[in-house]
Amino acid sequence: MIIQALAFYLFAGILSLSALAVITARNPVHSVLFLILAFFNASGLFLLLGAEFIAMILVIVYVGAVAVLFLFVVMMLDINFSDLRKGAMQYVPVGLLIGLILLIELAVIYQTWSLDAITAAASISMANMGETTNTELIGANLYTNYVLPFQIAGLILFVAMIGAIVLTHRSRPGVKRQKVAQQYARQRDEAMEIVKVTPRTGA
Amino acid sequence: MELLAVFLPLFAFIVAGLFGKQIGDIGCQIVTSASVIIAAVFSVILFFEVGLGDYEAYSTILTRWIDSGTFQVNWALRVDTLSVVMMCVINIVSSCVHIYSIGYMSHDAAKGRFMAYLSLFTFAMLMLVTADNLLQLFFGWEGVGLASYLLIGFWNHKPSANAAAQKAFVVNRVGDFGLALGIMAVFVIFGSLDFDVIFSQVSDFADYKFVFLGYELHALTVASLLLFMGAVGKSAQLGLHTWLPDAMEGPTPVSALIHAATMVTAGVFLVARMSPLFEFAPVALIVVTVFGATTAFVAATIGLTQFDIKRVIAYSTMSQLGYMFFALGVSAYGAAMFHLMTHAFFKALLFLGAGSVIHAMSDEQDMRNMGGIAKKIPATYTMMWIGSLALAGVGIPGIFGFAGFYSKDMVLEAAWADASWFGHYAYWMGIAAAVMTAFYSGRLIFMTFHGKPRASKQVMSHIHESPAVMLAPLYVLAFGAIFAGFLFYNSFVGSAHHGEHDAHHIAKPLASGDHHDTAMIESTTKRNAKEEIKKAAGTIKAGIETQVSNVEEKMIGHAESIAEDHSNGDLNPRAKSDNDQIDAAHTDKHTNDHDDKAHFAATKEDFWKNTIFIRAGNDTVDAAHGVDLWVKLLPLIAGLFGLGLSYIFYIVAPGLPEKCVKAFKYPHQLLFNKWYFDELYDALIVKNALRLGRVFAVAGDKNIIDRLGPDGTALASLKTGTIFGKIQSGFIYHYAFIMIISVIGLVTWFFMKAW
Amino acid sequence: MLDFNLIPILPEIFLAFTAMGLLIVGVSGGNKSTDIICWAAVLSCLMAIFLLFGISWQRTTVLNDMFIIDQFGGFMKLIILLGMIASIALSVKYLYQEQMIRFEYPVLMLMACVGMMLMVSAHNLLGLYMALELQSLSLYVLAAFRRNSYKSAEAGTKYFVLGALSSGLILFGISLVYGFTGSINFSVIQTSLSNEGAANIGAIIGMVFLLSGLAFKISAVPFHMWTPDVYQGAPTSVTAFFAIVPKVAAFALIIRLLYEPFAPLMEQWSQIILFLSVASMTVGAFAALVQDNLKRLLAYSSIGNMGYALIGIVAGNEAGVSAVIIYLFIYMFMTAGTFGVILCLRRGGIASEKISDLGGLSLTNPALAYAMAILMFSMSGLPPLAGFFGKLFVFQAAIDGELYALAIYGVITTVIAAYYYLRIIKVMFFDDPVDTLDKDIPFARRAVIFVSVIFVLGFIIKPNLLVSSSQSAASAITAPQGLAVKKTIKEPPQAAAAGDRPSSTEAAATVTGAQDK
Repeated sequence: MIIQALAFYLFAGILSLSALAVITARNPVHSVLFLILAFFNASGLFLLLGAEFIAMILVIVYVGAVAVLFLFVVMMLDINFSDLRKGAMQYVPVGLLIGLILLIELAVIYQTWSLDAITAAASISMANMGETTNTELIGANLYTNYVLPFQIAGLILFVAMIGAIVLTHRSRPGVKRQKVAQQYARQRDEAMEIVKVTPRTGA
Repeated sequence: MELLAVFLPLFAFIVAGLFGKQIGDIGCQIVTSASVIIAAVFSVILFFEVGLGDYEAYSTILTRWIDSGTFQVNWALRVDTLSVVMMCVINIVSSCVHIYSIGYMSHDAAKGRFMAYLSLFTFAMLMLVTADNLLQLFFGWEGVGLASYLLIGFWNHKPSANAAAQKAFVVNRVGDFGLALGIMAVFVIFGSLDFDVIFSQVSDFADYKFVFLGYELHALTVASLLLFMGAVGKSAQLGLHTWLPDAMEGPTPVSALIHAATMVTAGVFLVARMSPLFEFAPVALIVVTVFGATTAFVAATIGLTQFDIKRVIAYSTMSQLGYMFFALGVSAYGAAMFHLMTHAFFKALLFLGAGSVIHAMSDEQDMRNMGGIAKKIPATYTMMWIGSLALAGVGIPGIFGFAGFYSKDMVLEAAWADASWFGHYAYWMGIAAAVMTAFYSGRLIFMTFHGKPRASKQVMSHIHESPAVMLAPLYVLAFGAIFAGFLFYNSFVGSAHHGEHDAHHIAKPLASGDHHDTAMIESTTKRNAKEEIKKAAGTIKAGIETQVSNVEEKMIGHAESIAEDHSNGDLNPRAKSDNDQIDAAHTDKHTNDHDDKAHFAATKEDFWKNTIFIRAGNDTVDAAHGVDLWVKLLPLIAGLFGLGLSYIFYIVAPGLPEKCVKAFKYPHQLLFNKWYFDELYDALIVKNALRLGRVFAVAGDKNIIDRLGPDGTALASLKTGTIFGKIQSGFIYHYAFIMIISVIGLVTWFFMKAW
Repeated sequence: MLDFNLIPILPEIFLAFTAMGLLIVGVSGGNKSTDIICWAAVLSCLMAIFLLFGISWQRTTVLNDMFIIDQFGGFMKLIILLGMIASIALSVKYLYQEQMIRFEYPVLMLMACVGMMLMVSAHNLLGLYMALELQSLSLYVLAAFRRNSYKSAEAGTKYFVLGALSSGLILFGISLVYGFTGSINFSVIQTSLSNEGAANIGAIIGMVFLLSGLAFKISAVPFHMWTPDVYQGAPTSVTAFFAIVPKVAAFALIIRLLYEPFAPLMEQWSQIILFLSVASMTVGAFAALVQDNLKRLLAYSSIGNMGYALIGIVAGNEAGVSAVIIYLFIYMFMTAGTFGVILCLRRGGIASEKISDLGGLSLTNPALAYAMAILMFSMSGLPPLAGFFGKLFVFQAAIDGELYALAIYGVITTVIAAYYYLRIIKVMFFDDPVDTLDKDIPFARRAVIFVSVIFVLGFIIKPNLLVSSSQSAASAITAPQGLAVKKTIKEPPQAAAAGDRPSSTEAAATVTGAQDK
């Protein structure tokens, strides 16, 4: 238990620090790298909870895809974030103050919280956890109890895809593409022209 | 039927007003005239059914207007004798004026608009008279005020017309203020504005008192006086009369319709309609009498000196309205309504005739520039004579007379018969006014038509008789001016002793009256009695008449102290002896003149049918039939004297007027300047009001109310809007910040509430 | 265990498949086929309406209690589909006129529609969130649809960023609610809350976050900041769509949320809604006074209108909910017509959206001017037009709920707001004409304007058609929960439950009564 506790505090501590670093780092590349670190620690926390599937997904999707994509974008666009941040920074004191108020309020409210509510109403019984794997259980739930949100999620991704295409795809004139069928179907006389060259004219 | 009679003019107004351009001037003229004529036909039918026939009076409820707590008002059309009489007068005169206007306004650019306004006026006036509650009456009252404003200022390119229209409107405001207060007072007293409810309760509230500023006031008197204040304004009685002469700036048909025949009589109608209220407010009646008598006199004196042909007639109208009012004041409601009706005919005739003259003289209105045109426009000349004779009240007693002869005499006799100081005051004022009336009527005729032409040759060469479309209405009205008095005398103010069969009719109400404590016996019985007796006086020898009248006179003396039942009881047997002869004479005449007459209500009871209430012992119309002979003859003598005088002044010795003016310089100045009413008002009220108004406008309205009110609010709104606009900076992080702040604000709110 | 009955969800499934099918058509046909796809989308909405009428509107939940169909949901979906038809019909020609013709446009609209319909039927916080995101994502893309225009791109970005923020608020709220009630299922939350009541401060705070996020969707002040910018920046046809449909869906969602899971917290949420309502009415009335851009003006107008509609929710009775539904229905028609007119304001092929561009419209295009005048009169709430009745019902509900001050405030802001509606009329009828408008108004636009004007004018003739159906819809949402609602407010639960039911029917009766008069 002690090891578990130590691991929790380690992961949690690094997670918090790196999250802070994400928004304070001057170099955007550093920010993204800190973000990746934060993801790793978060997945560590999930592991501690025994949610190995989510932990792995977090690493694969967020680190492997999202964060790396971020990295590319940041490096390719070369945006000077400090300029962007300048405008927002003047509100930091106010923001901090408000954040503090909210934090205190929420903290007080959490005092009233108890786990009973959740365990009493939780539809997934914890007892089954040992027999089936995490992955299996999520899968089973997704396709049965949560089929509607799952399908909606599919639609959301669908819309996201359309949206991305609509907003970014441009058919520029003059772009050459491979059209295999056309290329195969091309006949010799379409492609070649025999020109009779008169000698000694230089043309 | 009453729906059509009332709403056809509205329909015409809407069509002509909204689609005037589409249907053209001729279309407007046809639509409006046809509508009003049809309405007139229907009202005549109603008159025969309800007034002369034995139909019961009834109200047609159209819809609920206001329903607020105990305050409930309907749109309803009340059809009873009083309203059908008014409807007839309005619609007939209005039809004549509509048709006349087609000719008169033929040179005007905005014919459609004019016709539309005329129809609007007609509708509003009809709403006024058919109202079955005071609020609807008020609606009509304001409606005619509006139409009058629009029509006086019809030639809106003339500044004087605009000023006159405004004056009429503003002066009427004063009266309307009183009327509105009166209506509220009535509501406070009775808790309702329905006539039926008010009239049925009036005796219960006879001694009801208001406490106002610590004074105890007799509630009914207060209400009556306030209502009368409205009547004073609308009917141009002394004090609030200054607008009427100025209203002559409007086109002449308008003067004829609104400012002679109908609208100005609305006050008379109001008092007659509210007769139960006034009957229980004797003080108010005295005020009405004194106002009316004084107005009759003062207006007549002014009329002597005026030179504008229309103004002369206008003052004459005012004077005649004074007659009606003092008739009301002495409880001779029937007589007042009778004079109202006859006056409508002959005064409209005079106005339209004057319009015809003006038309012929190329818009000349000053009588000093007329003269010697009798032969050029004979038809108009004849019409004017008929109108003037009717106005002067000329007739041969007992045989025939012009309309004014019957009605004016009736009014004066009723005043005398009231046998009170104010009744006598009214009588003598009326006689004096009658002399002057006849004088200025004659003066008008002689100055306009006789003597040497004073107009330029150019004008004289253009003089032509008016077209048939203008003359035809004159003939119709002339018929009314000649025969209206003669035909309807019995119905309006007829005596109860007309015939034996009538006596039977009367017996019942009398019998019931005997046993009633309230003793609210209709005036009609008495009036009929008087009238009959008067007729009798005409046909039978004077000797018999004097006897009869003497007896009646005595009776009236009794009536003051003794309950009315007794007097009636006395009357019946006494009258019977004469009745046979009278009756015979009458039936002969009736059958000869008209078939309809046979059906005419022979007595005023049959005619008025409860629409007019007179308290016991107050029935001056009945009493009037029995006054002394000299009382009856004096008005006629006065009229003839006045006419003769004018003949001497303007035909025999044309230099006389000027000498008189020189001799009586100051009195003449007073009269010529209309008793300085306008100047007085200007100095006392108008100037001060303007000064005060300026103070309020600048300091009060502009600097305080506007700044804090509309201007300020508008500015503040705009400023608020600008602030909101500024918050909308366009920066995402501003937006996000506001969102977050709001969320946290809400969270904090609930957080604080929980702890 | 799992109820795989898909029948209640059929309209949504149908629309989703149609959208995918149309996408395939578009990909193979290219942008040339856009108009066909648009009309097909309209047709599919019509089909969906038929399907909607085909299924039973009896209160049923399916798919593990995540999807609910009831009279309320059915009616709101009907409104949404009608709005969809109007907005797609308004768009077709516009896409051509503005050279932004792309076949994805109707597909995205259909997907948004699916999202909205799912929102109406959500019976679970997770489903709610997913449906909301589906709808929002489609709207973000649509806002930025004219990608060559900076304004459109800016609108899309702003909407997206702030929308993400609101999604964050919602998610945070959901997590709090889940944490403090132990469930994301509406019924379970309700039971849990009715036991604990106001003591559960965590759930209350969660609800605050949730409502704040949803207030963003209906652009209620102070979560409205995106509205003017997005309305102005987005392509006009998209703005029309924004103004007409998503509000209805979000409103339906809010009503369901407040009357089902959070019904026991009525005392609390009515304070929030009251605040939102008053703030919205204020900003809607004042900020619009200084606008000179028609779309921006209508953005503030819609903010104000949302404020009025919220009054009905604050009222907290069945009459209130019914009034909201009526209000939204009428508002939808008026807005569709108004945007139809705005879409017609083109000179030489260029769209104009300034108020001054309307100058002298009564001379250059009287029919359009009169239509606009009628719509504006209706918007400002003049009887006997439909807009008046919308406000009447809402205010009446407020008075029934004894919220006199709120009703009075609503009337005052209505008066202020009337200024800018009437200003448009003034400009159209009394100002000097600017150049004449392009004459060719496409048929669909004419039809939409015509229908909306007829509706606005004719509503008074047979208001009961709408009123009675909205009442039954309202009773479907308030009645089963009414028991729980009142329990928390009044101390003796049983007595209150028994005693308060008639009051809601009574309130409904007054509305009908007003109609019959």
